[in-house]
Amino acid sequence: MLTKLAGGRLFDPANGRHGEVADLWLRDDRIAADPGPGATPDAVHDVTGKVVMAGAIDIHSHIAGGKVNLARLLMGEEHERHRFAGHACGCDRIGGGSGIATPSTHTTGARYIEMGFTAAFEPAMLGSNARHAHLEMSDIPYIDTGGYLVLGNEDFLLDLIATNAGQAAVNDYVAWMLMATQSLAVKVVNPGGINAFKFNARSLDLDEAGPHYGVTPRSVLTVLARAVYELGLPHPLHVHGCNLGVPGNVTTTLDTIQAASGLPMHMTHIQFHSYDTAGDRKFSSGAAALAEAVNRTPTLSVDIGQVMFGQTVTASADTMAQRHTAPLAHPRKWLAMDIECDAGCGVVPFRYRDKSYVNALQWAIGLELFLLLDDPWRVFLTTDHPNGAPFTFYPELIRLLMDRDYRLAKLAEIHPDAPAHTTLGSIAREYTLAEIAIMTRAAPARILGLADRGHLAPGASADVTVYSDFTDRRAMFERPDLVFKSGRLVVRDGVLVAMAQGCTHVVRPGFDDLIERRIARHFDERIGLPIKHFRIQDAEIRHGAGPQLHPCRRREVP
Amino acid sequence: MTFHPDILCPFCGLGCGDIRIDRDQSGIAPRPSGCPQADRLFRRSMAVPTDARLDGAAIPMDDAIAEAVRLLGSSRAPLIAGLTADVEGVLAALSLAERIGATVDHERSDALFRNMAVLRRFGWSVTTLAELRNRCDLVLVVGPDPAAAFPRLWERWVVPEPAFAGGNGRSVVFLGGEPLPETVRCLGARVETSGLDTGAETDLATLVGRLRTALAGRLAAGDPMAALATRLRSARYAVVVWAAGLFEGPQPDLIVEGLVRLIRTVDGTTRCAGLPLSGADNLIGANQACGWRTGFPLRTGFDGGGPLHDPERFDWHSRLRDADVTLWISAFRPETPPLTTGGSVIMLAPPETIVAPEPVLFIPVGTPGIDHPGDVFRTDGVVALHAGALIDRGLPSVADVIGRMLAAIGQNAETREAAGC
Repeated sequence: MLTKLAGGRLFDPANGRHGEVADLWLRDDRIAADPGPGATPDAVHDVTGKVVMAGAIDIHSHIAGGKVNLARLLMGEEHERHRFAGHACGCDRIGGGSGIATPSTHTTGARYIEMGFTAAFEPAMLGSNARHAHLEMSDIPYIDTGGYLVLGNEDFLLDLIATNAGQAAVNDYVAWMLMATQSLAVKVVNPGGINAFKFNARSLDLDEAGPHYGVTPRSVLTVLARAVYELGLPHPLHVHGCNLGVPGNVTTTLDTIQAASGLPMHMTHIQFHSYDTAGDRKFSSGAAALAEAVNRTPTLSVDIGQVMFGQTVTASADTMAQRHTAPLAHPRKWLAMDIECDAGCGVVPFRYRDKSYVNALQWAIGLELFLLLDDPWRVFLTTDHPNGAPFTFYPELIRLLMDRDYRLAKLAEIHPDAPAHTTLGSIAREYTLAEIAIMTRAAPARILGLADRGHLAPGASADVTVYSDFTDRRAMFERPDLVFKSGRLVVRDGVLVAMAQGCTHVVRPGFDDLIERRIARHFDERIGLPIKHFRIQDAEIRHGAGPQLHPCRRREVP
Repeated sequence: MTFHPDILCPFCGLGCGDIRIDRDQSGIAPRPSGCPQADRLFRRSMAVPTDARLDGAAIPMDDAIAEAVRLLGSSRAPLIAGLTADVEGVLAALSLAERIGATVDHERSDALFRNMAVLRRFGWSVTTLAELRNRCDLVLVVGPDPAAAFPRLWERWVVPEPAFAGGNGRSVVFLGGEPLPETVRCLGARVETSGLDTGAETDLATLVGRLRTALAGRLAAGDPMAALATRLRSARYAVVVWAAGLFEGPQPDLIVEGLVRLIRTVDGTTRCAGLPLSGADNLIGANQACGWRTGFPLRTGFDGGGPLHDPERFDWHSRLRDADVTLWISAFRPETPPLTTGGSVIMLAPPETIVAPEPVLFIPVGTPGIDHPGDVFRTDGVVALHAGALIDRGLPSVADVIGRMLAAIGQNAETREAAGC
């Protein structure tokens, strides 16, 4: 199958194209070089004047696994209000299900592809829940997926650190776990804090020794950042730091940047970690200081976790932080879970209100960060779905970033005291289409090590989105004209027209077999399950299709 | 004869991974595991009839699929229940339900919904089996001994010394139920009586209410219930265990809600978590798969507007009465409950199943973890396990059979559409 997209403006920053007019060719599931005169494409789409980009990639979106499925159950009222019949498409029914903040699997795939996203990554997969997360991810149609393995609170790792087992042992353990759980990256969530909570500690600061092991979050963080670096994983350690949501936590966040001491690190949903304590309410924006620190640290990347107003649900492995949020639950119900000497999960429904001082400021802080961070290759568009807002708010968020007048109009609607505590009103910057293409395509693919995604050079996966260049950027990004997944036209004028399946991306750095004996003993003595039942085989991924493997390059810390 | 150690058991929901199986030409047999369910259900013979049956007479599989599609396609109120299958089988059943507008439910979902009702209206604070094993210094068992449904619960998750309980060992206190004799043998000195009248005749809701009153400090200090409250508050990590399926009396969900509120009270100062047990025959996996596919728990149907959930109306017991066609899926055990219905029954079950009366259509299927690999969830809802295959008797999986039905329905639809053009 040869397809020609004729006359579009290509926004392909990975290949230095920022709106140049050119034809784009797709052969089967790949982008192809121009076959030259005489070629007879099976399909030609005239996209003259349209904006052509690679499929968008969401690097941080809670779309699958135990906590998401529990959140669906807890959000029963929302699901009853938002039910979707399967869309008849040939002999398939596609996109049926329910929910906005926690959409069911087919609905998740449909909502993403309708917006031109062709990949989304589950950023908090617990080892003990990995098989569940994979089962769920393979039931999400259209998009590529992968999971970031949550480490840093397991009794096994804390014991390795406490007994000075050495960095090499930690590296082997991390590599073994990535292999056993079929993961793409490593994430740390409140390092040591979730474990400390199981020993009844209700808070744990960066340099505070945790109970039982006497290990500080700082040491967990640095040991894991180093393991990820030395194993040569494409994605740096994905960090959800200490003190999420606590006023004044920007100090902890700045200290965390220092703790990395030059090792690459990705700090996630930094909006929730950018709070200062100025003003009568002891709650203000720390965005300016944090943005400055990120701007001058080239080894650092961030995503925002933008808050948007409305009902959502927060789902996190950070049981310690979620216990603090629980009294604010709306509706008033929540759940918490300690999990398998591994980590935990907390689910708290939440409604962000523009007339609430705190929520309004959270919204402003997120935008402030987007606009003060000057390198779009190191900042990613996220709402930490569903924690800040459902991912379906991305078009609105893009409009806020690209349209200053619109942004100022919205700023005028929020709680009147909030604007005084941020610099948002004074920021003139507007994101360009090229910057949006970097932030949502080229940069995510690069930071995850997905060489054939996020760009439009020959050989890349034929994941392509075509937009109309409307002045209303929300309208533009909400409803692309055409979306291709692996070369197949699946969305036309915002409507699903065919089914497609994505793949699951993983990494597999090698390890010394010796570690397996120690892990096996832990499984026998503590976890109560022979290790072989924990390990996920390739044949289990996507009904036997297996994972897509990405290379790691071992390195030494200089 | 070959020997297979460390086989995963898919039956009760504890997910034991240490079953030892002997296999020869005649079939498989387990070595004694300490679990009556595993010892019985892993015994399978190679010599079984693999034919489908229409009104009791053997028919080719193709004809059976066609007949199932004809029956389901002409049904105005179809029910897909039993639903005891691996995750793939459940997902296939959900696809079929969406296609034909059926409601789905699991044979053993009563226990689940007693817990689910509380989760959905209030939330909860719970834990998993490995946390119980390693952290818990005080187990409070509420109601009948869960070992009746989860035979190796105590041996595997409570007898091992807790690693993080500060070296003080652990106690197991029964409230509102007596430990079974085998539990007493297994737990030995760990079992403590609470000093309360905890016989089966005592109303459980009242007992839980009194314990909550004691936790609020409103009972006299000498009351044994006040002493139990003190124990809970001074434990490092207390786990409250219950099997709601074994609760008797009206409104068992109110007992569960009382327990969840009690746990929240204790957990405000020291650590305390619940362990609601239910989940034989992949009940939890069926509920998880239904949750991610539809956004709702089991007891969900499909109308023109999408999935629709109703925990009372779509309970299979009541739906069975008015369903004109029931697809009953029972892949784990060669046994089924009595199905009282005026409609037709299509049954997918192991070939050893003795059914009376004979359903209109019987299609033999394999058991996950015996005839084919399959994923099942453990009772605590977090851990999914992949059970392997032990023997090949030529039996299809539930997902295979339903996949063929879906393909046939798709072909019929295409033919109709083509004819209409």
